[in-house]
Amino acid sequence: MKRRRFLAGGCACGAGLIPGLVFGQSDWSAPARFARPDAATDEGGLWAMMDREESRLRRSPFTLRDAQFQAYIQDIACRLGGEHCPDIRVHVMRTPFFNASMAPNGMMQVWTGLLLRVENEAQLAAVLGHEIGHYLSRHSIERLRQARSNSAAAQIMGLFGVVGLVGQLGVAASMMAYSRDHEREADRIGLLLMHKAGYATDEAAKVWRDLQLELKERPDGGSRNPLFSTHPAPEDRQQELAALAATFQGGETNAAEWQKRVQPFLRDWLVEEVKRGQHEETIALLTRLAHDIPSRPEYLVARGETYRLRGASEDLDKALADYKMALAVEGVPAEAYRGLGMIQRLRDQPAEARTNLLRYLELAPQAPDAGMIKSYVEELKS
Amino acid sequence: MRKLLVVFALVALSGCATVNKMESGNQNIGERMTLTLEGAWNHVALPNQGPGQTWTMEGLPVDTLLIYSGLKDGEAIHRPGAGGQKSFNFRATMQPDEIVGLFEGFLALDGSQFQLTKLEPATFGGEKGFHFEYQLVRKLDGVTLSGMGYGTVSKRELFALVYQAPRLTFFSRHKDRVEQIARSARVKT
Amino acid sequence: MHKALAAALIALACAGNAAAQSKNLAPGFVSLPKGAKVALMPTDIELFVISAGGVVEPKADWTEAASKHFKDALLRKREALGFSAVELSAKQADEADEVNALHGAIARAIAFHHFGNLQLPTKDGKLDWSMGDSVQQIKEATGADYALFSFVRDSYASAERKAMMVGLALLGIGISLGVQTGYASLIDLNTGRVVWFNRLMRPSGDLREPDKADETIDALLREFPVAK
Repeated sequence: MKRRRFLAGGCACGAGLIPGLVFGQSDWSAPARFARPDAATDEGGLWAMMDREESRLRRSPFTLRDAQFQAYIQDIACRLGGEHCPDIRVHVMRTPFFNASMAPNGMMQVWTGLLLRVENEAQLAAVLGHEIGHYLSRHSIERLRQARSNSAAAQIMGLFGVVGLVGQLGVAASMMAYSRDHEREADRIGLLLMHKAGYATDEAAKVWRDLQLELKERPDGGSRNPLFSTHPAPEDRQQELAALAATFQGGETNAAEWQKRVQPFLRDWLVEEVKRGQHEETIALLTRLAHDIPSRPEYLVARGETYRLRGASEDLDKALADYKMALAVEGVPAEAYRGLGMIQRLRDQPAEARTNLLRYLELAPQAPDAGMIKSYVEELKS
Repeated sequence: MRKLLVVFALVALSGCATVNKMESGNQNIGERMTLTLEGAWNHVALPNQGPGQTWTMEGLPVDTLLIYSGLKDGEAIHRPGAGGQKSFNFRATMQPDEIVGLFEGFLALDGSQFQLTKLEPATFGGEKGFHFEYQLVRKLDGVTLSGMGYGTVSKRELFALVYQAPRLTFFSRHKDRVEQIARSARVKT
Repeated sequence: MHKALAAALIALACAGNAAAQSKNLAPGFVSLPKGAKVALMPTDIELFVISAGGVVEPKADWTEAASKHFKDALLRKREALGFSAVELSAKQADEADEVNALHGAIARAIAFHHFGNLQLPTKDGKLDWSMGDSVQQIKEATGADYALFSFVRDSYASAERKAMMVGLALLGIGISLGVQTGYASLIDLNTGRVVWFNRLMRPSGDLREPDKADETIDALLREFPVAK
């Protein structure tokens, strides 16, 4: 009780005297808001580049343009940021990968791949809090300084590389490889911020655990995933997180609100995920989501689509099973009928195929492939 | 002097690619397909390119017409390695949506976003085939491109045309000519 | 030395006939009409420094200075070039975003094919590109008859890198000092035609200092169709 009031006040004075406290509870407080750096400094250079990148981002066709949803995510980031709220600007980007990043100028990007993967507000808060942790500790600036002085080997700079560099740097700046110390620090600050904002901190370890479950399905076990270098989650780090989280009590997950808010976008995000063509990872992801959120048939249908796409020896049967399971749940997307119909068509079950494909056309008359499906139905008549 | 040489060396680095003029009239593409052109096109032959031909009217950064003639079962639609970790291979048993999926996957490799807007049966090359339309938001510069394609599988080989150009002004400029080329296509059986 | 020379010869061989007349002008276009109104599209400039290790970093202060020098030099030149300039507001620039991006693609096509060594036979060696009615929006927003687009990327070696260059040169190894690339293009807003285009690709000019910026502008606006 005492600790919580302490944290709410953001005061670190005398905190170090409390014995037995794990680091992160009270001997850290947020710095004051950052002023714009002088253009002549290295930070100024990065800041200005990020400003330009941000205006590009705002106009980019990849930005998710839904004011209400953007405001919802912005609000979560804002509550985490506390006094720094006015400096944090959230941009939701339509990209099917797990990532969130924050630039030194306050620009925060949240990719829809991340929004697909987290199961509640607390899990999102864990990732955003972590990024805000990097921001508050000014890790990007440290990293840039390090990179410059550590480059011992002479790199021949490709001239074409220079011309295309702006876009590249924009990505590099947000996906800069942070050191383990930076990650540790960001983790701890992230948990603190989560807790201050009223979220259950034990959700943080789950995020990284779930991500790892997914990534280890890759042929290389996820070791070469570039995202791993910005958000690595080796076992000991997860354990640290879990141990730290245990020192905080209570907090909300807001799962119901979260699921309500993302439901309108689920179908699009799932289609993008399946399209990635990384079948094993997608199946692992969708299995976890379908298990944890059985009320949404979208995950099962997407998994069915993935099996159907992969088409390995027992996949078509697995796909059939998924589609059928999904049909039992309310709100099943039309794709389930298409999937069933396409498999039945392949397996020479014309009557069943027709029924299901017709149902698909009924539910989705404006679907892009309606013309193609109609022709299959015609063929199946004879 | 040294500085100038560096610049020249760079120009050479881009390789000795060539451009051939494809004149009006019949053009044989591969062993089994002919197209009849009304008006010339530019065929850009890049060193180390894939199995398809690349044609353009306004230049590669603006519009491209990809032409496949007789792509065999198991062959990739791109040059080796261009798919990164994946290889987008044509299989003779593929359904139209799967073939479109190959192009979708390949075009979206760099983070560009592909959105299918139409897929329907069509005659192509004198054979039963398919037609599709799409939109592609290019990652590199955020330009939105409109695209369309025709395809057919004949004797286990793929024959296809895929054309894309910026949705603003350019796609409509050459679209009719591409449709005409598609109609003129003949595949020898 | 021999390798570089050989490369240069190959380059020249591939380039073919590079010394065409009026390469910069669309057929039939000679000069701007006197008093023409030209919308100055915001210049896309980035300046970088290459550190000793070859790491390329953006330099905000240089870029800010360069943008300013470029704009000043351009405005200084407009009297000599004979047009009246209209600048776009930030809001107007934002709204012209899709057209801007589209122009970038056309400019790359012109730089790569027309000025490069991969001429498109159907263009018949002419500067024959048009953005059609996609530029209507700029015309309506500014009331201008033409629009001038420009793009500059410039990189400079830091002092350490210059020192390294000298050292390596002694060993017979050449590394790049820095390069300046860019283009400027003039679009007729009534037809969408690219009426004038110039490409710049050379070892770096210098946009960091105002006096040197004039030289870069001169290079970029070489053979600009001055109003007569």
